Amino acid sequence: MRKMIFTLLGVGALLGTSYAAQANSVLILEGYQAQAQMDDPAFREFSAERGQEFFSQNHTGGKPQTPSCTTCHTADPSGAGQTRAGKTIAPLAISKTPDRYSDFEKVEKWFRRNCTSVLGRTCSAREKGDFITFMKTR
Amino acid sequence: MALIEQNKMPKEGAVIWDFPLRFFHWAMVGVVAIAALTGYLFEGWWLNIHVYAGYALLCLLLFRLVWGFMGSYYSRFHHFPLARGEVIAHIKSLLKGRSKEYVGHNPVGAWMIVILLSTLVLLVLSGLFVWGGQENSGPLASVASYGIGKASEEVHEVLAGLLMAAIAFHVGGVLVENFIFKHPLIKAMITGRKEGAIAQGQVRVAHSVLGIGLFVAIVCGVALWVNAAQGPRFIGAQNATYTQECGDCHLAYHPSMRTGDSWQKMLLSLENHYGEDASLTPKKRAEILAYLQENNATTFDTKVAHKIGRIETASLRMTDTRYWQKKHDDFKPATFTHAEIGSKVNCNACHQDAADGRFSESAIKLPKGVKK
Ligand code: HEC
Ligand code: HEC
Repeated sequence: MRKMIFTLLGVGALLGTSYAAQANSVLILEGYQAQAQMDDPAFREFSAERGQEFFSQNHTGGKPQTPSCTTCHTADPSGAGQTRAGKTIAPLAISKTPDRYSDFEKVEKWFRRNCTSVLGRTCSAREKGDFITFMKTR
Repeated sequence: MALIEQNKMPKEGAVIWDFPLRFFHWAMVGVVAIAALTGYLFEGWWLNIHVYAGYALLCLLLFRLVWGFMGSYYSRFHHFPLARGEVIAHIKSLLKGRSKEYVGHNPVGAWMIVILLSTLVLLVLSGLFVWGGQENSGPLASVASYGIGKASEEVHEVLAGLLMAAIAFHVGGVLVENFIFKHPLIKAMITGRKEGAIAQGQVRVAHSVLGIGLFVAIVCGVALWVNAAQGPRFIGAQNATYTQECGDCHLAYHPSMRTGDSWQKMLLSLENHYGEDASLTPKKRAEILAYLQENNATTFDTKVAHKIGRIETASLRMTDTRYWQKKHDDFKPATFTHAEIGSKVNCNACHQDAADGRFSESAIKLPKGVKK
């Protein structure tokens, strides 16, 4: 009986955190949505296709070592990537790494860094939202 | 009973070298050979064997020093014919092509033993200081500074040369005695007996028992000392913001690996960090900067801090120091792009203890399929 309660509590805690992570990522997307509408009143909704395109494409304007997001994250979002310094990066797909896109500060930090490295500029709210929407389908 | 009675009077052909002494002698031959081979040819992992040989020597020498007061007649130091008169007389007769036969050591041989034993004692001591000071390992790790370790290394090398010369003299002398003057010294060191010698004192079974007991006790004591004194002096970076923010793309390098100045320059140019944007919020950057001003190569007294950390490079890279390049020049450039490594800055792909800044030779483990 004791064991069962503990198991239930454990499962509950797990569901709780992953639920919180999901709730957070929904909030983050809503934030980007609001920002994207401010940038362009005609904007309607994010698109996973546009996100995939943005992720896989070779960009210009960034640093020569990093032409694309796939340089480090590899072409398959559900596989592990590798930094240029050799460290493994957990998959970007939410199905593989559930706590992705749940910490606003972290998400913003990496968009800031990775967009300057790859595109040589910051990313727009629309690009960020498309990207996360794509990763949610993976 | 019968044995003791027999030995009471000076006796012909008696045992002069007790068993513990003979064991000491031949164990010494083996261990010194291993120590010399690994010492002169060592590379990487061999250093460990060299150090174990050093501990074995320490046990053997401690045993011999005690045995010089507790052993049977000819093992005792005060029975060594070391007096000046005797030595001069012996040398004079040698010069005339004669050598008087001694039951134990002859005067020149006895002095040789004194020289060999003192050189070995100093070798082991200086070795312990090198191991402790420079490699931050072993029982003296917390006592010896890097500077002492470095100085000891030079002393250790000179002594090793002296020992080689002394061994050459010792072996040469024994060969001359054995084959030219026909004093069967080699056989005596094996069987313990000298034909036709009138021996003083007596070698009893008790000597063997006592000697073995003493040796075992010394080995236990040394093992305890070596293990107990190895305190954990190495710990990874102690600032959570640093280990997290500087550990995203590569391991958070140990603060001892760059100077405060280099760390500062690096932190002020994170927007362009080796071809990447690694920028931080001003608050986090300030916290990390403060941490690295207090903890850096000048505040650590380890080998890596001295040989890599304190050497500044224009690129701020550790991998551009001469020491790093010399240590890795066996590897082809392609090795560093191997799937399990990715880059030469991925220290912990091979160095198990990289995060602690220790970089001990014995903690190197190349990923499968990677060769020197
Ligand atoms: C130079 C290598 C590199 C490139 C190129 C790169 N990334 Fe990343 N990215 C990383 C690393 C390292 C992390 C952090 C590791 C982790 O969270 O597991 C990361 C994390 C992220 C995160 C944070 C995910 C989270 O958990 O919140 C996002 C978002 C992201 N990257 C988007 C991108 C996009 C978009 C691009 C292309 C414009 C890109 N990355 C290109 C290395 C890179
Ligand atoms: C966005 C990823 C990223 C982050 C974050 C990052 N680095 Fe780096 N770092 C790199 C890359 C890439 C290299 C160079 C890799 C190569 O040359 O193969 C590097 C190299 C280095 C080197 C030089 C290694 C050598 O060659 O000796 C040092 C030192 C260093 N980083 C320190 C830091 C510090 C301190 C921080 C935290 C403020 C930090 N890094 C954060 C990606 C990063």
